[in-house]
This record gives sequence, C-alpha cells and structure tokens, in this order.
Amino acid sequence: MMIVNYIASFVLIALGLYTVCTKKNLIKIVLGMGLIDYGVNLLIVSFGFNEGGTAPIYQLSDLLNGVASGYFVDPVPQALTLTSIVIGACVEAMALSLVIMIYRKYRSVNADEVRRLRG
Amino acid sequence: MKFKDGIKEKNIIVKCGADKFLPFAITFGLYVILFGTVSPGGGFQGGVIVASAAIMIYLGYGFHIVSRALRSETLRVGEALGASLYVFLGLLGIIGGANFCRNIFFDNGEVGDLISAGTITYMSYAVGFKVLTGVGFLLLLLLGILAPDPEPAKPAATETKEQIEVKETLNETLHTEQKEKEAVS
Amino acid sequence: MNIQNFPVLAVMLLFLSAFLVEIFGSKIAAIRNFITIVAVTVSAALIFALIPAVLIKGEVISYWMGNWEPVAGYAIGIGYEVDALSLFFALLVVCTFWLSAVYSISYMKDDHHLGHYYTLFLMLSGSVLGLVLTGDIFNMFVMIEIMTFASVALTAFRNGTEGALEGAFKYLVIGSIGSSLNLAGIALLYAECHTLNMAQLSAILSGGLSPTTVMAFALIVAGFGVKSYMVPFHTPAADSYAVAPTAASMVFSGMVNKAGVYGMIRMVYIVFRAMDASALQMLLVIFGTLTMFVGVTMALAQHEFKRLLAYHSISQIGYVIMAVGLGSTLGLTGGLFHAMNHTLFKGLLFLTAGAVLKQAGTTNLDALGGLSKRMPRTTLYFLAGAAAISGIPPFNGFASKWIIYQAAYTKAVESGNFLYVIVTVAGLIVSVMTLASFIKVTQAVFFGQLREEHAHVQEPPFLMRLPMFLMALLCSAAGLFYPLVNRYLLHPAVDATVNVTNYIDKMMGDGYAAAAGVTNIPVQEVQFSFWDPLLWLVLFVVVFVAAAVVIMAGKGSRGRVLEEGAVADPKYATFFSGEQELYSQVGGSDLFWGFKKNWKAYYRVMDKLHSGIVTDYTNMAVIAVGVIVIVMFIFLI
Repeated sequence: MMIVNYIASFVLIALGLYTVCTKKNLIKIVLGMGLIDYGVNLLIVSFGFNEGGTAPIYQLSDLLNGVASGYFVDPVPQALTLTSIVIGACVEAMALSLVIMIYRKYRSVNADEVRRLRG
Repeated sequence: MKFKDGIKEKNIIVKCGADKFLPFAITFGLYVILFGTVSPGGGFQGGVIVASAAIMIYLGYGFHIVSRALRSETLRVGEALGASLYVFLGLLGIIGGANFCRNIFFDNGEVGDLISAGTITYMSYAVGFKVLTGVGFLLLLLLGILAPDPEPAKPAATETKEQIEVKETLNETLHTEQKEKEAVS
Repeated sequence: MNIQNFPVLAVMLLFLSAFLVEIFGSKIAAIRNFITIVAVTVSAALIFALIPAVLIKGEVISYWMGNWEPVAGYAIGIGYEVDALSLFFALLVVCTFWLSAVYSISYMKDDHHLGHYYTLFLMLSGSVLGLVLTGDIFNMFVMIEIMTFASVALTAFRNGTEGALEGAFKYLVIGSIGSSLNLAGIALLYAECHTLNMAQLSAILSGGLSPTTVMAFALIVAGFGVKSYMVPFHTPAADSYAVAPTAASMVFSGMVNKAGVYGMIRMVYIVFRAMDASALQMLLVIFGTLTMFVGVTMALAQHEFKRLLAYHSISQIGYVIMAVGLGSTLGLTGGLFHAMNHTLFKGLLFLTAGAVLKQAGTTNLDALGGLSKRMPRTTLYFLAGAAAISGIPPFNGFASKWIIYQAAYTKAVESGNFLYVIVTVAGLIVSVMTLASFIKVTQAVFFGQLREEHAHVQEPPFLMRLPMFLMALLCSAAGLFYPLVNRYLLHPAVDATVNVTNYIDKMMGDGYAAAAGVTNIPVQEVQFSFWDPLLWLVLFVVVFVAAAVVIMAGKGSRGRVLEEGAVADPKYATFFSGEQELYSQVGGSDLFWGFKKNWKAYYRVMDKLHSGIVTDYTNMAVIAVGVIVIVMFIFLI
C-alpha cells in the first residue's frame, strides 16, 4: 500500500515544480518551493516502512535474545526527515523575509517587475 | 475597541483564548523537551511548541506588549549560547579520549529514567533551548515587520458650538493684531 | 590529541567561533576581529598539519563520530574520511577563507551589523570545509544547505546596493530547487542500498546500476550541477557575485562553486563509478563546453566590473567540468589544476575589484578610467591576475589550460570522435575571447585618462594589499614550479580519485573492497616532457625587455596634452572632428564593438534568456534537469 505514498509524493513534487516555473507572484513561488520540500519529506519517510513492523524502540538484549519480534520500521529515514523539515522551515522563513524586504523596496511582488539585474 | 494606555486592545475572545492557552503551551513544550529520551519528541519539537508562545501573546495583546515581554537581545544571545553548549558537549568526547560526540557517561541510570542517556540528554536540552530562543527571536522579528497597530484615532468633534465660536473670534483677533504690526513696521 | 581528530576539530572550531562572535562580538570590533582571525588561523593550521600524513605518505584518515564502528559489514555512524582529493580541496578552501578574512577586516570596516557578517562568514567557511572532509552523503547535503543559507544572507547583506535583495531571492529559489532534487536522489539511493556512507555505497554500486540508482544518479548530478553553476543553472551566479560585498564574492567564486565541482567528482568517480560510460562523458563535456562559451560571450557585453568577473568565473568552471568529463587521468589532472588556479587568480581579480570599489566608489566600467596613475600596485596585481586567467606564460593559467587542451586532443585521437576536436578548438577560442575581455577591462578601468572625481583616490590600506600580494605570488609560483605542484598535490589527488580500494578499506575494514569486486588501476605521473616553463620564462623576459626598449626610445613623439588655445588651431581639426573635448577616453565598451555588432542575433537571444525574471530561470533549470534524467535513462540502463 505504500504505492499511494509514492504517487502522492511525486504529485506534490511535480505540482511544486509547476508552481515555481509558471506563477508570477513571488509569494506563490515561495509556496511552490515549500511544496517540493514536503513532497521529498513524504518520500523519505515512506521509504522506511516495513509491513507489519513496530516502532523501533528496543534494548539490545531484547534483540539478541529474540524476546521482541525483532521486526521494526527503519529509524534512519525518520531522522533524515526531521532534519529535512527543519531545513525546509528555515528556507521558507528566509525566502519570506526576503520577499517582505523586496516589497518595501520595489513596491511590487510581481516577478515581471522585480528585474533590475538583467543581461 | 477600547483604549488602554494608548494601546489598542484586541478582541476579548482572542485575548481570553491566549490567556488560557499560553501556560499550557509553555508547560507542554517544556515537558516535551525534558522527557525527550523517554517519550516521542525531543529538543527541536519541544522548542517550537514553546516558541509558539510568542505568537499567542501577539494574537492576544498586540505587538507592543510582545516586544516588552520578550527582549530580542536576550533571545539572540541565548540562541548562540545554546549552540555553543551543544558543540561543547560534543567536544567532551574528544576531551575524554574518544571521538567527537561520544556518549561518555552513558551508563548512569536505568532505561526509562529521566536522566539516563548520558550526553544525549544534555545535548537534547541544549538543542531545545536553542530552538526555543531562536524560533522565538525569528517570530519576534517577523511580527515586527508587519504593519504596526494604527494610532488611536482622535476623539470626534465634541466641542459645542459656543466653544467653536469663541475659538474663531480669538483667531480673528490674532490675525488682525498681526496685520496691524506689519502695517506699522 | 592524535591526528585523527584534526578534521572534525577544524570544522567544529569554525562553527563554535561563529556562535562566539554572535555572543560577544556584536558591539566591539576588536573582540570580533580577534575571534575571527584566531579561528581561521587555527583551522588552517590543523588542515596544513594533515599534509605529511595524507599527501606525502598516502594514508587515509577515517573517523567515526561517536565511535560507532560498522556492525556486521554495515555502516551505522557518520564517518569523516580524508583522502588526497579531500585534502586537495580542503587546502584551497582554507587558503581562500584565510585571505578573505584578512581582507574583510579592513574592507568591511564602515558597514553596520558586522557581528552578523562575521557569523555568516564563519558559518560559510565551516560548512564548505565540512563538505569536503565528510564521508557521509547526508552530512554532505546538510553542509550544502548551511552553505546555501549563509551565501544567500551574505548576498543580501548590503541592502542598499542595487539589486542585492533580488539577487539573493533568485539565488535562494534556484539553489533550493537543486538541493531538493539532491535530497530526492539521496533518498532513492538510501532506499536501494540501505546505507549512507560513501565508502560502502561505492562498494555496493560497483556491481552495476539498477533503474532506481540511475534515477538517483541523475538527480544527484543535477543537484551538484546547480551548485557548481553549469550552463542553464548559471543565472543566479552572475547576479549574486555582483551584488555581494567583495570579500564575500571572493569566497563565493573561490570556494562555493568548487564545492559543487568536488561533489560532482566525488559522486561520479568514487560513489557511482560510472565514468567509463561514454554517454556520461559526452554529457559532461557538452555541458562544460556550453558553459565555457556562454560565460565568455556574455562577459564581453557587460558594463559592470564584478558582473563581468562573475561571467568569467562561470566560464572557467566550464573548463573544469569539461576536463573532468573527459574521463582520462590527464583530463582529471588538468581539471583539478585548473580548479586550484581558478581559486587563486579569480580571488585575486575580485580583491582588486573590491579595492577599486572601495577607493573610487563605483564599478561601472563606463565611469572609471586611468586608475593606474593613482593605484599602481593594485594595477600590478590586477595585471598578474588578468595574465593568469588569459593563459599567458609564465602564470598558472597557461599550465593548466595547456594540460586541458592536451587531454581533449588526446581523447579526440584515441576515440576518433570528431566532437572532441570541436571541444579543443572551442577551448582555444574561449581563451582568446577571455584575453580580449580582459584587455577591455584593463583599458576601461586602469589605463586611459583619469576622471576629475577620481583624482584623489589612494592605494587601499595594508590589510587589503597583503592578500592581493600573497595571491599574486601564489599564482606565479604555481605557474613556474608546476612539476612540484603536480608531484605533491595533483598526482596523489588523481590517484585517490581513480583508485577507491584504499578509500573503502580504511572505512569498512580490510578486504571489503576486494570482496565487492573493486580493483586498482595504476596511475602514472603526468610527464611534461615536451614543453619546459623555464624556456617560456626566458622568452617572456626577452620580449618584455625588447618592448621596454622600444617604448622608451619612442617617448619623445608620443601623445602629449595640448595647451588651452591650441585646440582651435585648424591643423588639429581632423583629430577632434570639430568638437573640442578635453576628455577623450577610449571606453572599455567601445572596444570590440565590431564583434558585438556581428553577433547581434546571438546577443538578442541571450538577452531574452537572461531576462531577469525568476520564472524564466527556473524554466531553464527544470528543462535541463529533465534533459539530464532522460539522457541518463536512455544510455545507462
């Protein structure tokens, strides 16, 4: 059933790329960047799933003695996703503060008018 | 909308909601940070929950109270302190003879206790403190950029007609006096 | 404190000092400068202390964080691994940020919020150093993200500069797309191989590539391509180098795009080991040639000093990517040597641009002129840098470009493919156009007539001249003593790139590489038999002396300034066309106008592509990523 997760994640990444490439409002472009990040996070978390596995909280003695069922989901993608969520939040915060300063200076958030550096 | 010391007071429902939720947010956030090794959560998650207190104070009371309650200099220095503490705890491993970030007193408690994971617990607290102050500072900056609350409007014309007439006659006499002075000089 | 701890200590010291500057250094300049200089010097010393072990004796330093050794043949911890390739790039990084720190103490003296500047600068240095020293693929991703944040914030640092915020925003959008695709590739790689350690990945992937790993490879190459500013991704580089403060621009052009090149070499040669596929070679060579060409033709049309230098930076990185993509050890030697030289001479050029900006107040090429009369030493350093980038002996640009041409032509002869002949010819033409562009800049900024408003500029202060002098010295030394450079720096690095057995064994235990089927290829040292730099130096000195003699002899009849009333004399009418201007500078933009006029159609297309709208840039980037993915899928399965 993980195929649903994978399809959803690729749809999110595709929608995010579409938003970044076609929308002209700078805030929409920032939202598109966020969508790409969320799609990639969903992809990473979905890779760690094992069917029928439990939460990965065990003691080493349990695993060695075979007391626990010994079949758990992978904890590494969870750690990767946490780091990636933090990074995504920081990117959005920085991008939005840049958009606020651009609005103060250029009096517009349309990408067609924010183009003093060209050529 | 009432005016209290010249600061606009927000809607009563939002203010009451902020009053009731604020201590809950801070306590719950601190719980998530402190019990990071025995329950889901940890440094980053708890820190963000506590930092949402800044938004709650803003929603209930407006920007002036928030900037008086949370001072940005303290938050900025606190963030850097938390980060340095984290790196220092990592360097303890090298001082202890092993590699970086080595858990050098990892067997000082039972599994399931609060202080049981060695260096990892303290690193988690340092990260929680850093995120708390860092995200709070970030929110304070972003809230400061938003449009400030408008000034309290001047009271509507409550002067009576007699007062207006008196004012006008006074103005006229002033004008005539000035013209006479100019004519003389 | 044994030598194994030094890489981690060097990186963590930079991060710790960034936080200390934030706490203590926001008000008092002396504390801030002290912490910065101590941190960069100690970091540099720690990295230099690794040279005897890694480069000369050929060891590999492997370090597991928290002592988490591999269990049952699987890596479970984060590993730092320093082999000769990493140390080569780490030396470049360390030299760049040391020189930039010394320069920025004096250059940024008049700015506000300097505590934030030094914090960002130290975080940037620490993250690039961590990127080249790490042995874990996700740690590399996190370091890339820290590098992106610090670069964006440094680009937007001077809010008042025209276009600073806009350049930072475009850089953030395109850099973030690249990083997200990189992360998607890393996730796919983890799903297939269940490990994040680069040594173990290299052993697992040496058995061949499955469709998942081909997609991961394409996304990771695209991600690192965005970081190293290959052609459709090069647009934010031009904007951000121009508007950042110059000390930061030098760090960007010296370290940040080298990080992208290092990542690409590490992925393609060591982790995926796919360099034998001729389709991949052709892809990298085509992208490299396109980058070279677009960079230099756009540079010829610029009117602003730092934007012109930024386009040249893009073009030189095209040389490096083309040389790396050739797939032979000669090409790899040329590519690495050119990367090192690019850091040195481009850093020098940016530092002189900063000196001009600080002293004269503008970098507009149409508003400057004749500064060599007031700033002679800066002019001398600039000429050294310009000669190095154009490939004039005896500077270092000549040596590395010669090796690249040789490698491309040898590849053309060996493979019989006509494309490589075109690539060699393109390299030569681009080098000539680089020389033309620098003649234009020299004339526009340093030679010619001095304007009245610049009549009082002085030489920059000592702390700004010292890094320029050191870099010019390193440029000439690398050019004159390049056999030494080859034996001690380049040959170990190339050897470490092509042979990964040592890399894998040191991390995962002996015998792991042999069990996975990885074999060694002996690498011979590159011979420079048929041209000798000393002869070229003698030739250069003879030509210089002859030119000086000719100039001195003709001094009497050179142009002299006319007196006030002489302009009305009819015998001078042909020179002034009837107009009486006392100021007649041949501007930099007036040179090569014939070239620009003949290529009008090309420049019209280029102007429309570089329109300044951020959505156009992202369209180009996404189309390029799509092309890379499709090409990889067609040819590598």
